[in-house]
Amino acid sequence: MIEAINLSKQFERTVKQGRKSKKEEFLAVNQVSLKAEPGEIVGILGPNGAGKTTLLRMLGMLMTPTSGEIRLTDAEGVLIEEITKKKETIGYLSGNTKLYPRFSIREYLLFLGELYGYNKPESEERTKEIIRILSMEEFADNRIEKLSTGQTQRASIARCLMADPQLYILDEPTLGLDILSADAIIRFMKEQKEKGKTVLYSTHYLEEAQVLCNRIYMICQGRIVAEGTPLGLMEHTKTGNLREAFHSIFDEVSGQQEQQGE
Amino acid sequence: MKKIGILVRKEVLDILRDKKTLIIMVAVPVLLYPAIIIGMVLVMSYAMQSQADRVHTAAYSQQYKEEASLFCDVYERNKEELDIQLKFLAVADKEESKDFYDAWIDFSEDEQGIHIKVEYTSTNQNSDYTENALQKLADRYREELLTEQLAERGLTRDFLYPVTYESKDSVTVSESAGMSMGGSIGMMLVVTIMLGAFYPAIDATTGEKERGTLETLLTLPVTNFQMIMSKYIAVSLFACVTAVLSLLSLGGSVLFLLGSALAGSSEEILHFDPLTMAGWIPLLLVVVIVTALLITAFSMCFCVFAKSFKEANNYITPVMFVVMFASMAAMLPSLQLDYKTALIPIVNVSLLMKQVLAQQMNLALTGITIGINFCYSVLIIWILAKMYDSENVLFNDGFQSFQLFEKRSEIKEGTVPGTGDLLLGVVVLFLLIMYLGTAVSVRSPFGGTVVNQLLIFAVPLLAVWYMKSDVKALFSLKAPAPKSVLGGGLLYIGTFLLMLVVSAGLTRIFPESTQNLEQSFEDILKQPFFLILLVTAVMPAIGEELFFRGFLCGSLRHRHGAFWGILLSSLIFGAFHMSLVKLLPTAMLGACFAYIGYASGSIFIGSFLHFLNNFLSMASMEYPSQMERFLPILTKAQLSVGDILIMIFVGILCGVLGILLLKPGVPGRNQKE
Repeated sequence: MIEAINLSKQFERTVKQGRKSKKEEFLAVNQVSLKAEPGEIVGILGPNGAGKTTLLRMLGMLMTPTSGEIRLTDAEGVLIEEITKKKETIGYLSGNTKLYPRFSIREYLLFLGELYGYNKPESEERTKEIIRILSMEEFADNRIEKLSTGQTQRASIARCLMADPQLYILDEPTLGLDILSADAIIRFMKEQKEKGKTVLYSTHYLEEAQVLCNRIYMICQGRIVAEGTPLGLMEHTKTGNLREAFHSIFDEVSGQQEQQGE
Repeated sequence: MKKIGILVRKEVLDILRDKKTLIIMVAVPVLLYPAIIIGMVLVMSYAMQSQADRVHTAAYSQQYKEEASLFCDVYERNKEELDIQLKFLAVADKEESKDFYDAWIDFSEDEQGIHIKVEYTSTNQNSDYTENALQKLADRYREELLTEQLAERGLTRDFLYPVTYESKDSVTVSESAGMSMGGSIGMMLVVTIMLGAFYPAIDATTGEKERGTLETLLTLPVTNFQMIMSKYIAVSLFACVTAVLSLLSLGGSVLFLLGSALAGSSEEILHFDPLTMAGWIPLLLVVVIVTALLITAFSMCFCVFAKSFKEANNYITPVMFVVMFASMAAMLPSLQLDYKTALIPIVNVSLLMKQVLAQQMNLALTGITIGINFCYSVLIIWILAKMYDSENVLFNDGFQSFQLFEKRSEIKEGTVPGTGDLLLGVVVLFLLIMYLGTAVSVRSPFGGTVVNQLLIFAVPLLAVWYMKSDVKALFSLKAPAPKSVLGGGLLYIGTFLLMLVVSAGLTRIFPESTQNLEQSFEDILKQPFFLILLVTAVMPAIGEELFFRGFLCGSLRHRHGAFWGILLSSLIFGAFHMSLVKLLPTAMLGACFAYIGYASGSIFIGSFLHFLNNFLSMASMEYPSQMERFLPILTKAQLSVGDILIMIFVGILCGVLGILLLKPGVPGRNQKE
């Protein structure tokens, strides 16, 4: 289980005003609290620049929050303190987690196995199994730079699987994939959920989120503006699907902002 | 440790699989160097050979046939000794037959003797060569005539040369070759290490960003420190391998050439001792490793900031020039490895190479060179690890800690200089002092000191102006509380006494370097006393305090806490005095002033004490007898055990009292920094 309490991240950005430009601080993530339990898929939705990636990076222990707390527990529900242990518990995947182009999938998985502390036979066994599960036998020994987009994405999933993490944090995992590869990823998430793992993922595909997610957090400008089950959100906004619910919620938010601005 | 091992293996494999790296690492040293060296020698010897084979023509006017035939006879007699084939040609018209001769000879004779005038073209090699030969011939001719005339008058040669002069150089051929080669070997070594380090350094840091694998790396269950250390080890490994390969191929090709060139000559000339050569190899390896560690750390520091290969290349090119420039130091014949130059990184390595090859190795200096480079590497790695821990460096442009690279209009008011700015400030100041300061002090050591002091004053002010820092806060420009003044004074007395003990100890260990120190003060002491005071006491009290206690310690305190601020700024303060013996005592003094500034929130106490300190030491040099009456410990040549014990006791007592007085509840002290 992962729980975030009042998480904030502050950045500095340069704002151009005509010819002059100046620095200002802004909150990419602003007082976000959320929770994801074992056996559920939690979706993070929001427009570009809403702070989804920053939020997921903090939850994935890649970035340190400016303020707030992240509580991560292992399969037995024990709180994890050590940063490297935390990273072992999390399978993090995003558009920016590319693989080493000059390695083959098999080599890379073996390297990971060593790093996660498996001994050699264990590591080889696990690598073989993952290659079989994701049906990558054909290209497991090719250099990653030679693989197609879909194959590369499967290789990335293989990377996450190697540690057998309790929590998957996936940042737009289906972005830019063909239907077959995207379906493979969705199937993967469902399997993990059934195994009792926690899946936290962000996406722009609302239809996908509607059928997949147990719960959804909508964020805008670093804040959570709505949360609930897909059904709950639709009922709350009196809409027929998640896409309409999304529009309704964001129209409301921007309306409020305009009022505040006046 | 195990994780670092796994990561290093991954990094090495990753770099090895990059063809470009392999080309630079293996092809360049193994193939290019021998190709260049052997090729150059072959071309040169071919040119020389063709000169020797060619028949050179010297032409003269027909009317001098008689004089010329005498001259030709001289040639015929000395033919064997000249390595040139000459042909003498009588020509009717000088201009018309211009294409048929290499040099033109005019003969004339008067009561003073025979005059030979040669016209030639120095830019034409054949012509130049002919002229050389003709000159030798003329010398021979004169000798022959002279001997003849002396014999006619019944005189011997000692009538003409009552005094003869002869000199013999005791240097062996291998020593002198070592001396002339040593200068360039150091540079070649540094350059090849650089070549070996740069590409993997860029690949391991910037390449990771460019290929989008950095975030993947961050998801691994390793700390950032393990990550950067593994990269560092892998890159230094490559730098070392490249350097060793180049050394081998360089050495191999030189030996090959020597072998072929000296095949005929006797071994006596060479004085070649294979055992001495073999003895250098371990030393050479240690030097290579230490230099590789340093250059790798240095270049990685810059690469970490770049987002793309192109950008990384832009950052690293100036670094390359600086390193290359420093490594050329050994080519200056007057520059030798001593206690001062041994402290300058890169320069010391190339000077050491020169010394080793000239077989004048000094063990203490070698140890210092290796040790100091190692220390610099550790310091830079620490900075590198700090940088790699920063999200700004990893996720953003990475120039957050280098405010100095931003446009001034984009910098916020009250910015505190970042670690990168401080590093840059120190490096710039160091280089300015090394080159500008040294250039001036060659003419006048006193002028050099003035320039250095002005630089130390100007650099922090410029940096702080550019960064729009809050000058008052950064430099702690605030009146101190009376209690802090008392505490500061006591702490200073304590530090001063302990400093004397430490200096006395160090002087005993390194007696030679104190003499150097006294010499460098000689020129300064010639000036009037008020000028001495101005330059050595008043200016440091302002400039050095602003730079070390204000700019460095102030910013470091803000970023990394008081402990690191005081420690680092005082170590750099010690290092700036460019003397091994002074390093520790000066650092102690620096730490004392830094602590007073931190605890009292005011720079003025430290500034005054700094003045007092320098005033006392100057006064004891200028007026030793008067000072002896006031403070006998200052001028005592040898301290007895009793003296030392008393000084340690009083020193610690004063220091503790001072710290106690400074510490609790002093009004105006910065609580949270």
